Amino acid sequence: MDTIVTAVKLNSNEIFNLLKQFITEVIGEEFIEEMDISMESSFNKDLEMDSIEIVAFSEKIKAHFGERINFTGWLSNMDIDQLIELKLGMIVKFIESCQ
Amino acid sequence: MSKFLFVVPPFFGHISPTLSVGASLIERGHEVKWLGIIPLAADHIPPGGEYIFPEQDLAPYGEKLQQLLRRQDDGPNCSAPEIMKIAFEETYVPMARIMMKGLTKAVDTWQPDVIINDCVTFAGALCAHLKGIPCVTTTPVPPDVMGNTAESAPKIFAWHEKLFRGLQEEFGLYSDQLLIHSREMNIVFTSKEFAGVTDHLPHMKFVGPVKGRPNQAAFDWERLEKAVHPVVFVSLGTLLVDIRKDFFGKLIDAFADAPLTIVAATDPAIFESWPDNFIVSSFVPQAALMPKMDAVICHGGFNTVNDTFMNGLPMLIIPITYDHFHTAKLIENAGCGIKIRYKRLRIAEMRKAVFELLENNVYREASVRIRATFIAAGGNDRAVELLEEFSCKPTAVNQN
Repeated sequence: MDTIVTAVKLNSNEIFNLLKQFITEVIGEEFIEEMDISMESSFNKDLEMDSIEIVAFSEKIKAHFGERINFTGWLSNMDIDQLIELKLGMIVKFIESCQ
Repeated sequence: MSKFLFVVPPFFGHISPTLSVGASLIERGHEVKWLGIIPLAADHIPPGGEYIFPEQDLAPYGEKLQQLLRRQDDGPNCSAPEIMKIAFEETYVPMARIMMKGLTKAVDTWQPDVIINDCVTFAGALCAHLKGIPCVTTTPVPPDVMGNTAESAPKIFAWHEKLFRGLQEEFGLYSDQLLIHSREMNIVFTSKEFAGVTDHLPHMKFVGPVKGRPNQAAFDWERLEKAVHPVVFVSLGTLLVDIRKDFFGKLIDAFADAPLTIVAATDPAIFESWPDNFIVSSFVPQAALMPKMDAVICHGGFNTVNDTFMNGLPMLIIPITYDHFHTAKLIENAGCGIKIRYKRLRIAEMRKAVFELLENNVYREASVRIRATFIAAGGNDRAVELLEEFSCKPTAVNQN
């Protein structure tokens, strides 16, 4: 079970690596190998997460950062074009700004 | 006796249940016609019915319509929010514009007593509203695919409202309410229990699967008799074309030398040859075939889902795009199948899942429980009863 492991502020690189680890855990290592995950990866298009995977990913963020970071709340306030344009780097920035 | 006009989209999965209900209405002595925007082979139409294809009025939209139809094939490569845009902005709304002129003429000429619009064929409900004709909507897929967006995604909800209201206003309908569906009766071809719906508006009528549409497809029954059992039926429906080769290639990798027979509904020409244990044809008499099957593999097309559980069979559902994921979740919740997402499909896992479905009885038992809810929902008889009641009752007719 993931726990809140840190209250220390992470830099954007550390957050990126952490999110990459979460994504790997959610969609499975062998599918990650075919992807080139970067800050520019489109969350919906490149990572091809379905809604169940997005929920699992959100749970991991919540378990790690706790209530400080309301990822699902942030997502649910987006309009359709923002969702299409959503990149991993934007999630990193969001988390960084909430710390 | 009444005159019923079904207004259907260019997607056979949506047309199919209306053909079954229409056949039952004709048997009861009603007059039934369909109106759609692509030609439909005459042998699909129940005897006594008529399919209206307003070719002349569609002519100016020829290219736009072809573009719209081709766009459906992009689904497998699109993300969930992109799919929403394809569905609503690039398909349903333009389809209503394309359809309206020919539909209006046909309605003026034939004067139906009831217009029955498919849930994605908004023109039917809008035209009914403009003409003051009572309207029923049919929904072949589980409703609530989007969930409660007003709460969970307010901006998505607002986008929908704006899109649909804009369409209504183009046709001079100014209303606080959405008029793209009937607000008086919506017939849904599944059971409440399977759809996971506990709380719904009273005009939503869950009648379960319907049957009886004409299907003249030939089939090599003799070969099936002699085939190795168990037999697994595989269908990708009628819509997804581009990914067929990839999908069936994976299926061959998984089952070419397995101790079972695959009956696949797809064009055999996609491969030069097929393994000996594969029986492949473009069109199959699916309703007649299903009772002879032991399990089903499909993407989540709703008619195949209904046929599968009406026969108490377990399903491997491989959701690809559109509302398949929602259907897959319902199947997992009901326990009558296993889900593997197409994008995450491994050959070994697919093979393991199919043998699990064949050998472990829990999936079949869950499927039999779903069948009971389907039968209790009433099927054709209930749909006809609802439509007859609706056509007889004096309605507070909508005036624009």
